[in-house]
Amino acid sequence: MTKPASLPVAEGPYPPSEAALAEPVPQAEQQRGAEELRAAWKTPQGWRYVTAVNNSEVGKWYALTALAFMLIAGVLALLMRVQLAFPDMTFLDADRFNQFFTMHGSAMMFLFAVPMFEAISILLLPAFLGARDMPFPRLSAYGYWCFLIGGCFVLGSLLFDSGPKAGWFMYPPLATKEEGIGPDVWLLGLSFIEVASIAAAVELIVGALKCRPPGMRVNIMPLYAWYVLVVGGMILFAFPPLIAGDFLFELERSFDWPFFDPTRGGDPILWQHLFWIFGHPEVYIVFLPSIAIAAMIVPTVAQRPIVGYSWIVLSAVGTGFLSFGLWVHHMFTTGLPQISLGFFSAASEAVVIPTGIQIFAFVATLMVGRVKLTLPMLWIAGALAIFVAGGLTGVMLAIVPFNWQVHDTYFIVAHLHYTLFGGMVFPVISGVYYFYPFMAKKLLSERLGLWAFWLIFSGFNITFLPMHLTGLMGMPRRVFTYPESSGWGWLNLISTLGAFIIAASFAVFLYDLLRPKKAQGEIPRNPWGAGTLEFSHEVPEEAWGVRSVPHVTSRYPLWDQPQLVERMDAGRYYLPDAPDHQRETIVTSVIDAKPVHVQRVTGPAWITILAAIFTGGAFIFPTFHIYTPAIICGAFAIVCIMYWLWTTTARPPKEEMRDAGLGLRLPTYASGPDSVGWWAMWITMLGDATAFASVVFGFFFYWTARSDFPPEGALHPLGLWVGVAALAGVAAWALTLAAREANMRGKLGLARAALVLAPLAAAVAGVAAWTAVRDLDPTSHVYPAILWALMVWLVAHLSVGVLMQGYCLAASVFGKLTPRYDADLRNVTLYWHFMAVKVVVTAAILGLAPGWLS
Amino acid sequence: MRLMLICLSFLALSACEGRQSVLSPAGRDAQDVLSLIWVMFGGAVLLWLLLAAIFVYVTRVEPREMPRRWGEMLIVGGGVIFPVILLGALLTYSLPMMKPQREADPGLKVHITAEQWWWRVDYELPDGSRVTSANELRLPTGRRTGLVLNAHKVIHAFWVPALGGKVDMIPGRETYLSFFPEEPGVYRGQCAEFCGASHALMAFETVVMTPEDFAEWLTAEAEAATAPASGEAVRGAQVFTREGCGACHSVRGTPAVGQVGPDLTHVGSRKSIGAGILNGSEEDFAQFIAHTESLKPEVAMPSYNHIAPEDLRALVAYLKGLT
Amino acid sequence: MSDIRDEQDAHEFRAEALSLWRITFSPLIWAVYFTVSYGTAAVVCAKGGAGAVALLRLGIGIGTLIALALILWLAWGAWRQWDMPRDREWENDAGTSEDRHQFLGHAAFLLAVISFIGVVYVSLPVLLIGSCG
Repeated sequence: MTKPASLPVAEGPYPPSEAALAEPVPQAEQQRGAEELRAAWKTPQGWRYVTAVNNSEVGKWYALTALAFMLIAGVLALLMRVQLAFPDMTFLDADRFNQFFTMHGSAMMFLFAVPMFEAISILLLPAFLGARDMPFPRLSAYGYWCFLIGGCFVLGSLLFDSGPKAGWFMYPPLATKEEGIGPDVWLLGLSFIEVASIAAAVELIVGALKCRPPGMRVNIMPLYAWYVLVVGGMILFAFPPLIAGDFLFELERSFDWPFFDPTRGGDPILWQHLFWIFGHPEVYIVFLPSIAIAAMIVPTVAQRPIVGYSWIVLSAVGTGFLSFGLWVHHMFTTGLPQISLGFFSAASEAVVIPTGIQIFAFVATLMVGRVKLTLPMLWIAGALAIFVAGGLTGVMLAIVPFNWQVHDTYFIVAHLHYTLFGGMVFPVISGVYYFYPFMAKKLLSERLGLWAFWLIFSGFNITFLPMHLTGLMGMPRRVFTYPESSGWGWLNLISTLGAFIIAASFAVFLYDLLRPKKAQGEIPRNPWGAGTLEFSHEVPEEAWGVRSVPHVTSRYPLWDQPQLVERMDAGRYYLPDAPDHQRETIVTSVIDAKPVHVQRVTGPAWITILAAIFTGGAFIFPTFHIYTPAIICGAFAIVCIMYWLWTTTARPPKEEMRDAGLGLRLPTYASGPDSVGWWAMWITMLGDATAFASVVFGFFFYWTARSDFPPEGALHPLGLWVGVAALAGVAAWALTLAAREANMRGKLGLARAALVLAPLAAAVAGVAAWTAVRDLDPTSHVYPAILWALMVWLVAHLSVGVLMQGYCLAASVFGKLTPRYDADLRNVTLYWHFMAVKVVVTAAILGLAPGWLS
Repeated sequence: MRLMLICLSFLALSACEGRQSVLSPAGRDAQDVLSLIWVMFGGAVLLWLLLAAIFVYVTRVEPREMPRRWGEMLIVGGGVIFPVILLGALLTYSLPMMKPQREADPGLKVHITAEQWWWRVDYELPDGSRVTSANELRLPTGRRTGLVLNAHKVIHAFWVPALGGKVDMIPGRETYLSFFPEEPGVYRGQCAEFCGASHALMAFETVVMTPEDFAEWLTAEAEAATAPASGEAVRGAQVFTREGCGACHSVRGTPAVGQVGPDLTHVGSRKSIGAGILNGSEEDFAQFIAHTESLKPEVAMPSYNHIAPEDLRALVAYLKGLT
Repeated sequence: MSDIRDEQDAHEFRAEALSLWRITFSPLIWAVYFTVSYGTAAVVCAKGGAGAVALLRLGIGIGTLIALALILWLAWGAWRQWDMPRDREWENDAGTSEDRHQFLGHAAFLLAVISFIGVVYVSLPVLLIGSCG
């Protein structure tokens, strides 16, 4: 990677000497810094409050919205339990019951579990890392507004009795054939939220890698950050297959391309693969960050550093990998070859090992410490008791012959609720008790907390423990009724009673959470005696995150670095002021967290809300098969996003260097791998490449699964045009690369010329790809349909690439992009590296595959 | 653990018994899985108790500090060595257990196709001839019978807990399953994959018979329908024709050759009607014909609630007579 | 006091630009091994003839040995990087280059152990199941 020689690098003493740290900060200096920071980080007041983008605000909204969606989904569950309380009940009819169970699962997964992880991480990660904010606050805000709009839309469909009703797994052909807009609501509404999830994942990964405080090397970062890294990575590889599946599914729904229709060469099993390649890692995406909360609480309770830090890292990374080898255990009954089932059975058992290590590391930490059972710890203990039970039934379910018996019965319902309550709900509530003083500067009630705990713990077991037996006695899942002769009545009645006890517990918890706590007075800053940075937070509230960004040399800086908090408060450390009244945070190197540069962070804005509304329109209108407004909304969304990028990102700085404190001078602009934007692009592209790979997987899947792929006498893409597309696409990439090199060498004219030609080449590639498949009829058979889908995918990505090239051209003309400040062009070139691979692979499949296959 | 206690105490009361229960096997495959279940449950309960005991010990009984080395040993021993051995053994024991249910026996094959929401059942005899039935499966004891599974429009799953595990029925794919029934009796099976509005109402009876009884039954089942025996039944046959029932249903030996709905040739001898949702008394027949749509939401067959009561009675007499 | 531009770290314990990736190498081997085994089995069972299964088992058997050998090799490297027998240091919890270096070795070593177990488990079906069926 060539680096523009002219950009300055960090200079000054590092790491800071004890003498420099011990030197007091003059009072006047402290005051000036605090005032500047207060002005820069001021939360918008009144009705402008919604324009806030700061992680503490967005994180709070995110968490409360996810909580509200969870409560709605919980009410659906209660209604279903009423229907099932007795045999042959008529409280809900079949149609409504089916909508409810579909929505219960979908909402709990897509509107609660994953967004809750994002919410908590957005809220807490910067605090764990002593950072001021996330690297891309507007992206978080945009993600939040997308989530809110999408969630309301999906849940709202129930009010019009038009919710999806084919199950949260949406198996075709049932879901593709379903009449009404239910499946479209599910597909488009949730795709929209999936995109927001990927955005959050990108942001969290960059946050954990690049926004750590100086000195926080990878071996001392809080375990939560490790989990965020792993989970972010998992989201990048798990969600794209589902998005690819959604893409194919919606093409079938809207345009009758028969991807899952066996009468025209399609195969419903492809959806199951794509869905569960997402769906199983999803379980761990939900579980890992919640257990990460436990990893923060347990050392505090034991008042000892965690035992087996490396083991927990191993466990998180190992689980992340292994969890991608489990998906077929949701498909054990689909009649796949025994040997294939065996692989997945074995991998499903293997994943138990890292999970077990994680739990033993907690127990070991408690063992070496002097334990004081606090309320958060009680919830963690409950979580472990429940999760271990769910894990043990999971071990059983991975055994194929047993799975054949209990698959799709209430045994599974019991198992999955044990893992999710134990692995997610309990740890998250524990986290609420533990972090509440950090978030709200108040404490929750000990007495109500005990009530809530014992109610939910008993209610949960009363509801779900009998379900194991219900399942073994033969009750399938997703039935809206059952006959009296089945003998399942008494078990179901017990479960229904338990469900209401769980509801009562949530009522107590919510009351405690939301009741006014004015009378409580000021609480101590670090009420639990924790050792990690989040408990250096200011009481009362200050919006700047940390007064100054500390230099960290320990896993538990609050325990091991005396005077750290005082010095942070005095502004002794880095970035203690904001001379330009602009929001900034410090960016450090990936492995050793050496300061690299100061990153300007964006502030409050309306544009993110507008962008989210238009993006919502682009996804929601097609649900009703209205396409023109959808396209208009899409265009406006793009304009909004471009405006926001243009006005606030990678602007040439006024001053190239900034005094960061302690004598350290840091650059204010970074380009290429040093910049957070480049990392974000790289990570996004990994996810995008995964989605593309999933579509390509579809092509080869049909080839192995169907003997009529390609069908006899099928038309093939026109080789000549495929060749033109390949050449023109590669040329567009080469021109972009040339533009970057020319720009860097100061040859502006040449760079701009390349940026004019590159979009033209890309356009030629797109048109040629379309011409190549134009004569194939995608509704006739899956073979032409999947070729068309590949072409559509390619053209859509080329279009985005063209927009990016145009953006860079404009930036160059208007002086936003210069030979010295070329971050935009570097990021776009990175996009085009991936684009070139996509062009070549697509052309290979379109042009060569027919030859290989026939 | 509590589950075990509950189950054990109720096993005594035979509440875990049932015609659709994994815990009351009537075939070899289900019996093997049940043994596996007891082994795994026993192990799981022990492990849970062990972990809970360690947890209580370190937090409540001895909350003082212990050496760090002990903690590390706990992670290595409890987190790695112990589970690796245990899970390895479990895999080695269980992986070969898949085989029997996939084993083909050339003797008798039954083709079952799932519809929304009922079952086509076709017995394929060794000589290649077929005997068509619906919504009820009969199997001989003491031998393996193969089931070839398919589905028409959407995915279903075929499951008879008393005989063995389930397999999905997928449009455009053929899946396979075999059973080795041992205990004669009537067992309930049910669709286990969500298949639309009436998924809960898609069941069937499986009648396990001795080989002799089975052979006798199969011969009778292959016959054409018996002619109506009473005057009322004759009139019922006329109602059947008049109402156009034959457009969807077939009754072999009569002009009714419809293929859309279940075959009714021997419907009077079946243990249940409406795909396992009613018992097959006269009352049940009348109910099902007159209130089909409310008994089975979104079913293809309309409710014949316009038929006069005496005609309905006659129709029921005709159908009940189709033994 | 050292300057931030000093390259002292680079001398003894290089900044290891790659090593965060390096800890994922052994699970990546597991992932490749798993994907290839599953993919080959799927293709052979769908398209292969009667004798193909024996060949498949042999092929996966060889693949297993290769994967295990690679993981062992990585584990050996990681073990040396961890350097535990010399300094008896398990936690590597200081904010120094040396501890960071050894921590990454430790994590890579543990991941190699878990990947090794993963490969062994996944090879069991090939040993125990002889047919596609």
